[in-house]
Amino acid sequence: MAISNFDETEVGQSLWQDAKQRLRKNKLAIFGLTVLLVIGLACLLAPWITPYGYEEQNLGLGATAPSWQHWMGTDNLGRDLLTRVLYGGRVSITVGLIATGVALLVGVTWGAIAGYIGGRTDAIMMRIVDIIYALPFMIFIVLLMVIFGRSLLLLFLAIGLVEWLTMARIVRGQVQSLKQLEFVEAARSMGLSQWTIIRRHIIPNAIGPVIVYTTLTIPNVMLLEAFLSFLGLGIQAPQSSWGLLISAGVETMEEYPWLLIFPGVTLSLVLFSLNFLGDGLRDALDVRASKD
Amino acid sequence: MSKSCSLSSSACSVFAFIQHRYMTMHFSFLSWHAKGVLILCATLLLSSCGSGESRVESGNRDGVLHIGNFAEPQTLDPHIHTGVPENHISMALFEGLVSAHPKTLQPIPGMAERWEVSEDGKTYRFYIRKNAKWSDGVSITAEDYRWSWERASSPMMGNQYAYMLYIIKNVEAWGNGTLKDFDQVGVRVIDEHTLEVELENPAPYFLNLLNHHSFYAVPRHVVLAHGKMTDQYTQWVRPGNIVSNGPFMLKDWKIYHQLTVEKNPNYWDADTVKLNEITFYPVENYSTEERMFRAGQIHKTEDIPLDKIPYYRANEPEKFRNNPYLGTYYYQFNVTRPPFNDVRVRRAFALAIDRKTIAKDIMYGVVDPSYSITPPGLSGYNPPKLVSFDPKEAKRLLAEAGYPEGKGFPEVDLLYNTNESHRKIAVAVQQMWKNILNVSVGLTNQEWKVYIDSRNRLDYDIARAGWIGDYVDPMNFLDLGLSSNGNNRSGYNVPEYDQMILKTIPEASSPEQRLEEFYKAETRFMTDLPFVPIYNYKTKYLVHPSVKGLHPNYLDYYYFKYVSLEKEGN
Repeated sequence: MAISNFDETEVGQSLWQDAKQRLRKNKLAIFGLTVLLVIGLACLLAPWITPYGYEEQNLGLGATAPSWQHWMGTDNLGRDLLTRVLYGGRVSITVGLIATGVALLVGVTWGAIAGYIGGRTDAIMMRIVDIIYALPFMIFIVLLMVIFGRSLLLLFLAIGLVEWLTMARIVRGQVQSLKQLEFVEAARSMGLSQWTIIRRHIIPNAIGPVIVYTTLTIPNVMLLEAFLSFLGLGIQAPQSSWGLLISAGVETMEEYPWLLIFPGVTLSLVLFSLNFLGDGLRDALDVRASKD
Repeated sequence: MSKSCSLSSSACSVFAFIQHRYMTMHFSFLSWHAKGVLILCATLLLSSCGSGESRVESGNRDGVLHIGNFAEPQTLDPHIHTGVPENHISMALFEGLVSAHPKTLQPIPGMAERWEVSEDGKTYRFYIRKNAKWSDGVSITAEDYRWSWERASSPMMGNQYAYMLYIIKNVEAWGNGTLKDFDQVGVRVIDEHTLEVELENPAPYFLNLLNHHSFYAVPRHVVLAHGKMTDQYTQWVRPGNIVSNGPFMLKDWKIYHQLTVEKNPNYWDADTVKLNEITFYPVENYSTEERMFRAGQIHKTEDIPLDKIPYYRANEPEKFRNNPYLGTYYYQFNVTRPPFNDVRVRRAFALAIDRKTIAKDIMYGVVDPSYSITPPGLSGYNPPKLVSFDPKEAKRLLAEAGYPEGKGFPEVDLLYNTNESHRKIAVAVQQMWKNILNVSVGLTNQEWKVYIDSRNRLDYDIARAGWIGDYVDPMNFLDLGLSSNGNNRSGYNVPEYDQMILKTIPEASSPEQRLEEFYKAETRFMTDLPFVPIYNYKTKYLVHPSVKGLHPNYLDYYYFKYVSLEKEGN
């Protein structure tokens, strides 16, 4: 016993293992993660879950309230809402992930480099961000779509390319304060290259605000997709997404409330879960807080 | 109206809405007692806000009609405006040389008390009333009409409806600038109150046209006081400047808020006019409008959201109006490029559309399925029915065109302008084509102006379109197929058809002969099938029961002079 005890204390724990352990203790975060996984899986396995196709109409049936045949009811073309929510989820989740991924990748790299190097490089890089900020964003996306044609992947990229700006600013601010700290000094005095310092020391320490902002970006992006699709720039009927289902549901909320409630609840659930998970991740990854 | 007042009235509408909901939906889980309390609460809230009197109630008392009018009018100049909202206002402000019966639209005396037609049907002589006056008391003369028609058809004016006047001799040449002298046009002033009009060809519908806003007289003395004859958008249409000759005159115009007209004491038939005022509200959102109606803020809506129809049908049928409306909703093909340059493909697509299902299940039966481009019942004309729902024949035709079971069919898109009900129909038709022809058609929606531009440039495969008639005659629909008609937009260009519309029909020897020629022309058109009719429009709107004398008619024209408001008990 004593020996094994002694052994255990010898085992070092990496930052990531620490974080994992802390996350596991956070019940809300685990709840969020579970919900996300369940919804994600359901969307992925949609064809095995419902017997209907998302474009399959039953005009004679029309809009019906939830029943045993149609758990979430049907819309006014007689299409099964559950099926449409699941298939719509595929679009919404993909948009959320890809666009946010692009925003993260570009924004964090850009912000970290600008913030760490500073000086003239910083000035130029941030002025570029300012300029893109100043462009009316709708026109920017419309232009991209006009030039490259309408495709789903491009839509995701286009949204991502607009969303990275704020991310870059946040990260730059973080990095500027971080690079004054002793552990960065120490790393530098040990002769690590600039890129290694940014990658190994700066970015992991700036991750808190980044994660919080990411959880805010995902819902933003999902709603943006709905807006663009409504204008005819995004996905086209009969395909759908949560945002589109909700905006269609709002129009008939007095007559067929279920058309708004179910997609709305699904989207809210996902957003709540993302927030819980984001909160948990931030707490788990916050190095400074954990060393207290 | 002050700001606080309008705030409280919107609060009223919210409570009225809640109350309405509780009274109409059956909350079985609530006991009767609880329901009573809820209704009581809602009623208390309702009565506690403002004076408790809705606009409809005060309007009924004071003879003020409040109506939803969809959009802010672009202008009140009858020689410039093109939209339906402007037309509603114009019809209150102005009256044509010849007016129309509010129900049948048959010509009845307007500014002219009588007229004579020559034997060959080409020359009309109008006798203008001696007591015809503008709202400022100035007399209306034959010269006013001659001058107004010169203005309406002048190439400098840019009037989109100028072609309506081309029915008059030489006006077309004047309108496109080849004729420089308006005196050579078939309009002659005989004396102060007598006007003679010579037509290009006999046209039985000429008297109906005179009721259209492009034929209205405008007050020469006022227009000239604010600019030259052909100056567009001058100050003459502003409140305080504009004078008119109809049953009403402009009182007040608050941009994007409301427009009010009041009774015109100088109108020749002022005794018939019962309303004191009419207020038009530009409410573009049908749901908002329906809520305003429910809250007693307007007597009449412009339209009604589709999904509200079952409710009104079941519970308040006396408020819901649904009458034939001279218009056709259709899909058109771009006939200039494959695959729709092949008539067999066009026909296959047309036969695979189940119009009955669309009319019944998507449009809740408020439209009629259409099998011809002209709506039925146009002055004795019965259009041929050459398209129907025939899946077998559709499949056969597609196979014959080289795409058996849809194999090898190129990628095509269906274009429509962004709108919920267009989208619903497009999605349903897309599915019909998929099921019957096994062809996948993509959907593209565009904002109105982009959509019009795409159609003008023939940058589409299939496009949704609609046409609302301006006068009750098959010509108004069949001339859409003219290669020179700007509203054609399908690339359909068949000289033989142009010949039929431009020569054979106008020169027909008798009205019966004319109808026969129409039948032939439409048969040709529906065989070539550049347009596929889907449904015939019907008006759908809500009217408060206190409104009397607002007669439905085929053009959805409102003759406000016959409208009265019934005072209710309180």
